[in-house]
Amino acid sequence: MSIASAPLVLPDDAWAEEQEGVLSNWFFRDGAQVREGEPVAEVMVAKVEFEIVAPRTGTLSIAVPQEGIIQKGVPIGSVRHD
Amino acid sequence: MPNETERLLTPARAGREAVIWEMERNPNILFIGEDVVHMGGVFNTATGLATQFPGRVIDTPISETGFFGIAAGAAMDGMRPIVELAFADFMAVCLNPIVNYAAKTHYMSNGQFKVPMVIMIGAGGGYNNGAEQSQCLYSVLAHFPGIKVAVPSNSYDAKGLVHAAIRDDNPVAIMYHKATMGVPWLGTPLPTIINHVPETDYVVPLGSAKVVREGSDVTIVGLAWTVHQALLAADTLLERGISAEVVDLRSLVPLDKTTLVHSVRKTGRLVVTDEDYLSYGMTGEVVASIVEADVSMFKAPPRRVAYPDVPPPASRSLEGMCMPDASKIVKAVLEIL
Repeated sequence: MSIASAPLVLPDDAWAEEQEGVLSNWFFRDGAQVREGEPVAEVMVAKVEFEIVAPRTGTLSIAVPQEGIIQKGVPIGSVRHD
Repeated sequence: MPNETERLLTPARAGREAVIWEMERNPNILFIGEDVVHMGGVFNTATGLATQFPGRVIDTPISETGFFGIAAGAAMDGMRPIVELAFADFMAVCLNPIVNYAAKTHYMSNGQFKVPMVIMIGAGGGYNNGAEQSQCLYSVLAHFPGIKVAVPSNSYDAKGLVHAAIRDDNPVAIMYHKATMGVPWLGTPLPTIINHVPETDYVVPLGSAKVVREGSDVTIVGLAWTVHQALLAADTLLERGISAEVVDLRSLVPLDKTTLVHSVRKTGRLVVTDEDYLSYGMTGEVVASIVEADVSMFKAPPRRVAYPDVPPPASRSLEGMCMPDASKIVKAVLEIL
């Protein structure tokens, strides 16, 4: 089964209660082709850095801009299967 | 045209990519420093390396004198160590192995020993970290014969200069300004710092400056952080109808005098900007080199915008007064137009 769009989301264990994250850097522009396993962004939660890896090969869609606030469980973007 | 997606890596990641590429191909490359195994270095220069290259990434005690000596000895004996000095300020405690062991040995041994080591250094201020974690000190290393000094200002150059440094048979210092590394906890990098980084390996030759913005009225020479301040200054100057050319030095040693002279021959005016100290530093060296080449090119006296000769203050407001920035560069340009 093919899912049309795979979300980019931090694992729940990256967060404590009531914490917010910040999108530090996107490594690709919106609409870029990315490969499965490739780092696409880095984010910070409480001074700890996390790397976000593309869950599949496809087209990157950015939902949260650089310096944007990230909430627990909310995707920062997605990778669409072409 | 190759169909390559634009990769906007941070300079820290781009430089690390070069380190990984080289370590994968040469088992003699080691990465040595404080907190490099678990933490990946203070500025992410070694993130993930210890997992990828077990046994070749070595944590050291806080003893720069000792582990720089170890690195220099290992290099003489056939290894190619990359050794990290997290803060340029602590160069003060390990200048002996850097200068007397690494930089001089090729000369002193009449070429019997090479010292192919890379020194990765975090430099620069703007974080209110005070006098012991804010200096640039680029010119301190550049002053000693026998060691090359490169200072990348952007992602593309970071990767290319690290490749060049690792492949060089001489000691080479890669001096990263903290504000140009794109490390998340150091804040959002300026847009001009992040650019496309090809996946393939490539070299930015040591000793090659680059005209990063063409102009006709004045040449502004900078490196690292001050390149981006010069670019901002050039935007402001253009609003006043002044066309500024910006040259990124990229290396202090070797110094690319050809590119510098060529630019000033075109513009006739020169402002040199550096976050290192004003006196006895890069700005004076660059001005002197161009004047010696042909003083008749100058339509006005050159100007320097550098760090005043005081240790960096910890106070935010006082440090801001000391740092070279776009407004100070604009002011200097207007003085000679």
